[in-house]
Amino acid sequence: MLVQFYNVSKVYSNGVKALDDISLKIDKGEFIFLMGASGAGKSTLVKLLFREELPTRGQIFLASRSVVRMKRAEVPKLRRNVGIVFQDFKLLENKTVSENVAFAMEVVGANTRDIKQRVPEVIKMVSLQGKEDSFPGELSGGEQQRVGIARALVNRPVLLIADEPTGNLDFETSTGIMELLYDINRKGTTVIMATHARELVKVAHKRIITLEKGKIASDNADGESIA
Amino acid sequence: MRAGSIFYFFREAFKSLSRNKLLSFATISTISVCILIIGIAVLITLNTGNFITQLESDVEIVAYMDKDLTSESVTDIGEQIKEIQGVKAINFVPRDDALKKLQKNIGGKEYDLKATLGKNPLPDTYEIKASNPHDVASIAGEVGKISGVYKVNYGKGFVEKLFNATRWIRIISLVFIALLVLGAIFLIATTIRLAIFARRKEIYLMKLIGSTDWFIRWPFIIEGILLGVLGAVVSIAILLAAYSSLLNNIETMSFLPLITSSSILRNFYLSLLAAGGVLGVLGTFISINRFLDV
Ligand SMILES: Nc1ncnc2c1ncn2[C@@H]1O[C@H](COP(=O)(O)OP(=O)(O)OP(=O)(O)O)[C@@H](O)[C@H]1O
Ligand SMILES: [Mg+2]
Repeated sequence: MLVQFYNVSKVYSNGVKALDDISLKIDKGEFIFLMGASGAGKSTLVKLLFREELPTRGQIFLASRSVVRMKRAEVPKLRRNVGIVFQDFKLLENKTVSENVAFAMEVVGANTRDIKQRVPEVIKMVSLQGKEDSFPGELSGGEQQRVGIARALVNRPVLLIADEPTGNLDFETSTGIMELLYDINRKGTTVIMATHARELVKVAHKRIITLEKGKIASDNADGESIA
Repeated sequence: MRAGSIFYFFREAFKSLSRNKLLSFATISTISVCILIIGIAVLITLNTGNFITQLESDVEIVAYMDKDLTSESVTDIGEQIKEIQGVKAINFVPRDDALKKLQKNIGGKEYDLKATLGKNPLPDTYEIKASNPHDVASIAGEVGKISGVYKVNYGKGFVEKLFNATRWIRIISLVFIALLVLGAIFLIATTIRLAIFARRKEIYLMKLIGSTDWFIRWPFIIEGILLGVLGAVVSIAILLAAYSSLLNNIETMSFLPLITSSSILRNFYLSLLAAGGVLGVLGTFISINRFLDV
């Protein structure tokens, strides 16, 4: 088991109950769609995995380590095993594509030689060759999202979390991003993707977890029953 | 910590300095104003301290001998006084010298006191300096116990008042400087917080992708040291110029015993430089922690 949730609830400080008694298990190598209406709790669930938020109740394990009880000093280690693709990209505007990707390696203390070797590799993986020296402001939305994916992948995470990676992209571009994520998953990385995009999910035949007002409404192993 | 990381920390610190020129300038100005004020306060305190130390060391004990002692027993009493714990130096004033001095003070040779009075009315005396002026009362007590000593005088009453006053001056100036330092830390931390706030998104992202607190702190701390030292250099330059022109203009007025010892002044300026660095680091450390809580 890579991920385990036991009776997890999350109540924000303003009293909003975002997650209500969630229990679920995710195996190594799975590809998971996390669906649900806006406000259903998708982002909250995902944030608990890398401890951006802490649950109000319940236990969460990642690779058998308790995410909830771990010491503050151990959190960086947890996060280095998780790659995160943010819905709003979170690219640094004053850094080029290469620098944004290299940044993720620099901040975990990788040495210069490894960075020089690895960064072009992942840039090639996300098909951004030729854009290495562009700044985020000079890229399209799809290209920026691919930079975000490259950055999430560069440290070879065991788990890739993508919160609406196709959020504001057209269907064509979204399909390209999806192909990229499937490819990453085929190479062994577990992927959890939160999304609204039914048309992408429908054709994917992957496990779909649907949230409704903070509860799991359905957990469908092959994605067949999605309307 | 790896060598590559150290290089990264310095590169990031310098990049950040040159990227936020306005904020860097604001921080340097804040720090230099703070150090300038603290420096002036410390200079005043040092000089006041110097002055009151001088006042205190002027305090001495005068021991009057019985009039009918032989000169051997007077010498012997001198030896006994020297042996008392805390006595730094003694000076023997024979009664004839004392009379001459008095005569001179009263006015002229033609007025012969001895002739007028028939004999010298003054006793032999010892002037005693204490290693620590605060011990004069107890030393005076000891001296008074020696047989053959007629009377001991050390300005009782006045000395206690003087020491009480100087103690309060010292305490008040230390408290004042401590308050200034606290205010400076607060002000500098606030300015640095602005610089860090401008990069909060970057810090947040760094935390989410797994960098440690120290990895994020180091460049900011290096930046804080640089800003602090630069600010201190500016204020030291101003103080140096101001104090040396003060010394030049006040030289003639010797009643104001300003500190001129170059070793004291050098230590003072070096301390200010160090204080700049420390204030920069403290300000950074206080400001950055809240941004690391992710
Ligand atoms: N930091 C927060 N503080 C308070 N309430 C929050 C916070 N983040 C989310 N919420 C609330 O928690 C609930 C779940 O939010 P969440 O972001 O998990 O939903 P979501 O499923 O990701 O929605 P969307 O599809 O719009 O991204 C919402 O009602 C939201 O208002
Ligand atoms: Mg969301």
